[in-house]
Amino acid sequence: MAGYKPVAIQTYPILGEKITQDTLYWNNYKTPVQIKEFGAVSKVDFSPQPPYNYAVTASSRIHIYGRYSQEPIKTFSRFKDTAYCATFRQDGRLLVAGSEDGGVQLFDISGRAPLRQFEGHTKAVHTVDFTADKYHVVSGADDYTVKLWDIPNSKEILTFKEHSDYVRCGCASKLNPDLFITGSYDHTVKMFDARTSESVLSVEHGQPVESVLLFPSGGLLVSAGGRYVKVWDMLKGGQLLVSLKNHHKTVTCLCLSSSGQRLLSGSLDRKVKVYSTTSYKVVHSFDYAASILSLALAHEDETIVVGMTNGILSVKHRKSEAKKESLPRRRRPAYRTFIKGKNYMKQRDDILINRPAKKHLELYDRDLKHFRISKALDRVLDTPEITVSIIKELNRRGVLANALAGRDEKEISHVLNFLIRNLSQPRFAPVLINAAEIIIDIYLPVIGQSPVVDKKFLLLQGLVEKEIDYQRELLETLGMMDMLFATMRRKEGTSVLEHTSDGFPENKKIES
Amino acid sequence: MAAGGGGSCDPLAPAGVPCAFSPHSQAYFALASTDGHLRVWETANNRLHQEYVPSAHLSGTCTCLAWAPARLQAKESPQRKKRKSEAVGMSNQTDLLALGTAVGSILLYSTVKGELHSKLISGGHDNRVNCIQWHQDSGCLYSCSDDKHIVEWNVQTCKVKCKWKGDNSSVSSLCISPDGKMLLSAGRTIKLWVLETKEVYRHFTGHATPVSSLMFTTIRPPNESQPFDGITGLYFLSGAVHDRLLNVWQVRSENKEKSAVMSFTVTDEPVYIDLTLSENKEEPVKLAVVCRDGQVHLFEHILNGYCKKPLTSNCTIQIATPGKGKKSTPKPIPILAAGFCSDKMSLLLVYGSWFQPTIERVALNSREPHMCLVRDISNCWAPKVETAITKVRTPVMNSEAKVLVPGIPGHHAAIKPAPPQTEQVESKRKSGGNEVSIEERLGAMDIDTHKKGKEDLQTNSFPVLLTQGLESNDFEMLNKVLQTRNVNLIKKTVLRMPLHTIIPLLQELTKRLQGHPNSAVLMVQWLKCVLTVHASYLSTLPDLVPQLGTLYQLMESRVKTFQKLSHLHGKLILLITQVTASEKTKGATSPGQKAKLVYEEESSEEESDDEIADKDSEDNWDEDEEESESEKDEDVEEEDEDAEGKDEENGEDRDTASEKELNGDSDLDPENESEEE
Repeated sequence: MAGYKPVAIQTYPILGEKITQDTLYWNNYKTPVQIKEFGAVSKVDFSPQPPYNYAVTASSRIHIYGRYSQEPIKTFSRFKDTAYCATFRQDGRLLVAGSEDGGVQLFDISGRAPLRQFEGHTKAVHTVDFTADKYHVVSGADDYTVKLWDIPNSKEILTFKEHSDYVRCGCASKLNPDLFITGSYDHTVKMFDARTSESVLSVEHGQPVESVLLFPSGGLLVSAGGRYVKVWDMLKGGQLLVSLKNHHKTVTCLCLSSSGQRLLSGSLDRKVKVYSTTSYKVVHSFDYAASILSLALAHEDETIVVGMTNGILSVKHRKSEAKKESLPRRRRPAYRTFIKGKNYMKQRDDILINRPAKKHLELYDRDLKHFRISKALDRVLDTPEITVSIIKELNRRGVLANALAGRDEKEISHVLNFLIRNLSQPRFAPVLINAAEIIIDIYLPVIGQSPVVDKKFLLLQGLVEKEIDYQRELLETLGMMDMLFATMRRKEGTSVLEHTSDGFPENKKIES
Repeated sequence: MAAGGGGSCDPLAPAGVPCAFSPHSQAYFALASTDGHLRVWETANNRLHQEYVPSAHLSGTCTCLAWAPARLQAKESPQRKKRKSEAVGMSNQTDLLALGTAVGSILLYSTVKGELHSKLISGGHDNRVNCIQWHQDSGCLYSCSDDKHIVEWNVQTCKVKCKWKGDNSSVSSLCISPDGKMLLSAGRTIKLWVLETKEVYRHFTGHATPVSSLMFTTIRPPNESQPFDGITGLYFLSGAVHDRLLNVWQVRSENKEKSAVMSFTVTDEPVYIDLTLSENKEEPVKLAVVCRDGQVHLFEHILNGYCKKPLTSNCTIQIATPGKGKKSTPKPIPILAAGFCSDKMSLLLVYGSWFQPTIERVALNSREPHMCLVRDISNCWAPKVETAITKVRTPVMNSEAKVLVPGIPGHHAAIKPAPPQTEQVESKRKSGGNEVSIEERLGAMDIDTHKKGKEDLQTNSFPVLLTQGLESNDFEMLNKVLQTRNVNLIKKTVLRMPLHTIIPLLQELTKRLQGHPNSAVLMVQWLKCVLTVHASYLSTLPDLVPQLGTLYQLMESRVKTFQKLSHLHGKLILLITQVTASEKTKGATSPGQKAKLVYEEESSEEESDDEIADKDSEDNWDEDEEESESEKDEDVEEEDEDAEGKDEENGEDRDTASEKELNGDSDLDPENESEEE
């Protein structure tokens, strides 16, 4: 006799947002820690060296936070006016910062007073960075100039006066000690070479440039300004590769994930978007409470730090994954128990009888196999896909009425609840409508005995009424769309008709 | 008496507004309020006499003021006593008012002419003027400033007569001795200068905080045995910012004693001080001190040498509003200034707000230690603007000025000039073109909010929000817009959507159409609007069918169940009406429920029918059961785990048993069932 055939569960396409590797990765952070700063947080920078402290520039102070401390472990407050762009050197031991009064100050991480003060800019210095050789500092200021400073004898080496508006962002190449780029409010991003006295490359962003970023390889340049993020190929002489427009307000900061595979952009529209650097599509998006001014990722993406206009610093730490392994693992049989006897070679006269493979049946299948149909149905009411498949199966067997009949108040309301939840889903509707009708037929005689069930029926009625209204609206809309489509077809059609009408009269004439 | 001028100009206290009574009969009260207006009030009938706005009233607010002594006649050298007798006749001559400003200039204002008399600027102060004192006889003016200098001015020529450094820090207060030959100045310490030589005659320790007032309290030394040289033996008084003690000092012949001889204690920092000079030994000094907390403390004391304990006031005066009804508690009204009348037996009190003070004459009754006057000033609180007096010009607005409102480019035409909005911010931003008075705004707020103001506001922002939401795929933003129920609003929004957002909008709607009918109905509204409004645009799209294909299919598949659903709905309606009907009958057990005619027939057939049906169902079930059992028997052999199989078997038996019973009874009764179980 044939064995029991398990119910085929129909699979439906999953609705809603698709869960990708990226959403899993970027959602795997703890709830953010919020730290209140004195003013808008204009820059966050992680130290490239362990223990990966980060410097936060807000108002006239620079705070340095440790990985888990919510209190600053160090503060530089020797600024007369607003400080800007505190940046660590590659070895994490020096820190340079610009200031509203035009000064550039260099600090030792362990000290308090500035080691060097570079005076020369006449207006606020919004961007500073160390060059790759660690001994020079590049600064850009609101006096339209870009200056290169020597750290050992604290002197100005070069001044570039090519920008025609505020210089607000910049970064130095990680590979070449002589190359650095700056972005300005004159809509251009320029690349300078310290060996020459002028820019070697200039690209037109089209908006005031708020942030620039060089890929670690130095080949690609990302600029942000206005609502656009643009990627340029430096090796091809500044060719525009991609232009991204995913924010609805000005993009203020850019950041690369530590693997270099993802690009992050923060904007005044309170969002951080994550792009894949292969496809340049948005793969994830974070929401924050206020407009974002600065953004930084720690080593190995362990921490996301975001600074906002309202002075709040939001710090998100990655969830630790050590917990899963701590669970006691059930001991399973050794591998050899499974392969025991499998490699037995049949002798000439032996007849091998295979033991029929034991089929694993789901609980509801087991119930169905033994004709406990009501129980099978009750068991699966929480997962609509399986329920619908089972109802279908019962209907095929012709026992759906039996399965639904003979229920007390609690059980029937359970079934009705399921119907109310799922009746409006188009993929389940045909089956469930059928089931609902059967239920009504069965329980019509006893209606009015239980207020709970009556209430459920009322709810169901309300839902059906709404769905009918909705479908009526849809039908009207379908009519509209038919009309639209028809006009399109007629356009094609009429042109054909015209041709024929041109031809027809003549024919008619000939015929007549 | 007239010396209260400098008394109230304390540099650290914003509450203390410079004010002074005119000398002698106190006919006028001058007050320079913080908005830069100088107002002169008539004390007799509490009327505004004059109002003057200095041209630079905002940049250089008035920091101190002083009335000139009655007559500026250099030839006359009258004794103070003599002037007093003449006071009645000369009161009209009180004319000049000196105003010191925060930028260092001194203005002389003539109350007779009602305009500026002259300005003292050249060679004077380059910082805030802290105190001004007129010399009684010589027509000179003394002023001190934050720039550490004291300047002696000639008022006739408006030139500096002499300027010298008065202290190492800012000089905060001045006072001229009764005989006019000495000058007291208070900086870090209190110094007594000889005016002729400008040399320091005595030092006093002073206060820890800047001294706000200096005043001589006696004009003759109490000890009359010694020959009087004009200064020795005189007492003077000093009050300071944030200090609740008024110190009294004595000018002694020997230069050793530098500390205060006695002190008066008050409840708060003194704001305004007035006193009556004692002219002989027996007459006590009467002192009225107005504190920042709005109380007046009165002291009466015969100055006679050293006193260790601080003296407390003889009488305290407070003013409060009458408590209206039972619930409202009386509120205190601050007293701003107080001055003794010339008879020394009554007091002029200035109270209320700085902009509309009330001036009242109160007879002194020193018996009671505490006086609380109940005054209703609610009718005085309303700021009255008397246009006849004020000379403030409002800037003329150009009627052609255009007001720019945020919106989407390309949709300017749709935006009307905004009516007054409910939100303050909105109205600020939009209605700048033609000034709307507060009254009109208030009126508009009552009416327009309900009619159209709100709607216009929303349709301005909705297209913007929707475009932004579509561009950045912001779920919340889209929700905010798409979940409106107002059809009119939807139509307006769709009308203003830029064309390039139509297709993304349709795609978003497609996504949202799949949900629960509750929310999806709203999306259909949007979809309909888009289709009707932008039909012509959509029909021009070459790839319309692939664009809208998924949407079409989705809708079609959903609509497929329409017939079945309607069928089900019909059934449900019947069911529900039954329920409601039965409930009604349950509720109304009317007596006429009994059938009037009962027609009975043999019911055996029906019963048998029922039985048959029951049997049928049972039979069916039995078959099933048999099948299952037979199957089971076979299965059991196959099953490995016997125990489990048994368990299931037992469980199943129970189930089948109960089910059998249940299925057997066509009218299942929950109560019976529970009993059985």
